[in-house]
Amino acid sequence: MARWMRVGLVGFLLALLAGALYAYGQQLTVGLAVTGLNSPAYWGLYIVNFVFFIGLSAGGIIVASLVHAFGLHQFRPVARIAELMAIGCLILATLFILLDLGRPDRLLFLFRHGRPQSPLIWDVTVINIYLFISLTYAYFGMRADLVRATGQVPRQRWLYRLLTLGYTDLSPRALARDQKILRVLAVVGLVTAVALHTVTAWILGLVKARPGWHSAIIAPLFIVSATVSGLALLLVIAIFCRRALRLPIEEEVIKALGILLAFSIPVLGYFLFAELLTVLYARDPAAVHVFEEMMHGRYALVFWGNLIFGLLFPLAALGAIFLKLRRRVVLWGGLLAVPVIAVVSRQIPWAPPSLLSGVLGTALGVHLPPRTEPLLLWLVGLAMLLLLIDTRWRLDTRIGIAAGLVVIGVLAERWSIVVPSLIGHSLLPYPPAHYVPTGMELIIVGGVYGVGGLLFALSAWLLPLVESEAPER
Amino acid sequence: MARWGMVIDLDRCTGCQACVMACKAENNVPAVGMKEAVRGRIISWMQVLTEEDEEHPGEVRRFLPRPCLQCDDPPCTKVCPVNATQLNSEGIVTQIYSRCIGCRYCMPACPYNVKFFNWRTYQKERPGQNPDVSVRPRGVVEKCTFCHHRLQKARERALAERRELVPGEYVPACAEVCPTRAIIFGDLSDPNSEVSKLARSPRAFRLGEELGTKPKVIYLAEGERHG
Repeated sequence: MARWMRVGLVGFLLALLAGALYAYGQQLTVGLAVTGLNSPAYWGLYIVNFVFFIGLSAGGIIVASLVHAFGLHQFRPVARIAELMAIGCLILATLFILLDLGRPDRLLFLFRHGRPQSPLIWDVTVINIYLFISLTYAYFGMRADLVRATGQVPRQRWLYRLLTLGYTDLSPRALARDQKILRVLAVVGLVTAVALHTVTAWILGLVKARPGWHSAIIAPLFIVSATVSGLALLLVIAIFCRRALRLPIEEEVIKALGILLAFSIPVLGYFLFAELLTVLYARDPAAVHVFEEMMHGRYALVFWGNLIFGLLFPLAALGAIFLKLRRRVVLWGGLLAVPVIAVVSRQIPWAPPSLLSGVLGTALGVHLPPRTEPLLLWLVGLAMLLLLIDTRWRLDTRIGIAAGLVVIGVLAERWSIVVPSLIGHSLLPYPPAHYVPTGMELIIVGGVYGVGGLLFALSAWLLPLVESEAPER
Repeated sequence: MARWGMVIDLDRCTGCQACVMACKAENNVPAVGMKEAVRGRIISWMQVLTEEDEEHPGEVRRFLPRPCLQCDDPPCTKVCPVNATQLNSEGIVTQIYSRCIGCRYCMPACPYNVKFFNWRTYQKERPGQNPDVSVRPRGVVEKCTFCHHRLQKARERALAERRELVPGEYVPACAEVCPTRAIIFGDLSDPNSEVSKLARSPRAFRLGEELGTKPKVIYLAEGERHG
């Protein structure tokens, strides 16, 4: 990556952060009124992002533990990136909790007056344990390389000395002991990661007043979406490291991760389907209300966008890439399916009604016949698919695009779980609810993303992101 | 120990909103202003919800006065991470404004949406407010407390006069002003009190009974529908 690009990118991230600091200053002086939150949209973008980043963090450790706990050594080059990603995302998640508090000055009450029956306290506890474990994990994983770097990069020697905490033994015995500790920590880390995201899911899942959240499947569903989003973000970062920073990550690693992702997407789809079917078949009025809001309400585009471009499309793209399907085959296959879809979509009562024709119609001033949306989406998806299986693009770029879509898709999924449950149902006849994030809210969230980018830039600049050599076997 | 409860007779409610205004004046509930109201941030501890009658659309409007239902198994206190909202020994669900961290977890946990948040500083202390009720700062959750300060006052008066609390001495503002006596307040632990008798009426029902929250605000259904 050229120097001007690096400077420009970091400058952009700093600008995001500066904007967010100003906006948060406003939020501190005015109150949460600067956001779009209200009654009953008590929680919004901050909590959506909190859940999202907790998921990414848990996903990071789950992938990293594949190497040390399950001995899948082909993932070794990305293990450290996954660990650092887990720590970074956890920091961002805690920032989002802080942003959401009405009284951030009373943050320490969580420790001083913590009430063990509250799922929020479970979460605070697990976050702290998890942070400690993942920091220790990263330390033992990186120690040897840091000691070596002390000799190689004299300018940053002080930093590496500090980070090794004075433990500089590089003898085979010490290294073997590091590996042993890593194995144990990987297992403990895996358990904690599962606990972390389970408890986060329970913050929502144990609330019986909100039928969209109150579901036994929500914890396992969150674990799966954490793994999927963690894998996908890791892929995006690893591909960026490989292409832009020229780090030694083989294409084989990217491919293996991509295949893992391709297999985990259907698992997520399965869980979502199980949840949807249970609710829609039973037709419990309260829950159906929430799901109507999710699928046909104001934010239907988020739900269907996630389903189509966050799950189905990446799966099809990864499948086509790994099965090495030819463009001609995909094109003809896709076009042959058009009449089938045209017929079937007329029969499906729950196809997104006037979703696209509503949005497109008002944008273009065109009136689309009803129930043409599935067909339209199919054709758009097909065109995108043809672009992605164009062999002139490099393999990792194509996998990266699919993975990026998955990451955005999981963010959309978090939204579809948190927000419609709040605005889509109430037991009593309250006036209709709405929630639109304000510009201030978006600037603040953008700033936290900026912090994430800066954390990555900092670690890419200072830390050895890929293990320097394969350890003794 | 008393268990304070309320019976609201929907047959008697005319939707006049006297209870709403009395509550606002009694408890220093702020007027949030039009801008905030449009955004869905009205604070109203007592609220009269209106509903179109399904059997007579366009003709009959039904009214549902809604204070905090003071559940005996409150879902909001269960989730509070810092003990800022509790069920006290007399069955009143309290909110400690100096403890609340503003995480708003109790708000979605309440199936009846009776908790309100101070999205900005809606009011400062000034003359004309009720000195017995604290003014809530920005960033905390607030709620109906069955005019708990009135209980404290009544109890102190009784103590000073060396006597027991007399039934009817402690009544929340909404029950006090209701012109049709649709809101009856009293001690549910006393089987002979008016609330206890009304609560045993065949017309009595609780909101969201299936949720198991055991509200101590009991409604009496409209006679026309339920005999």
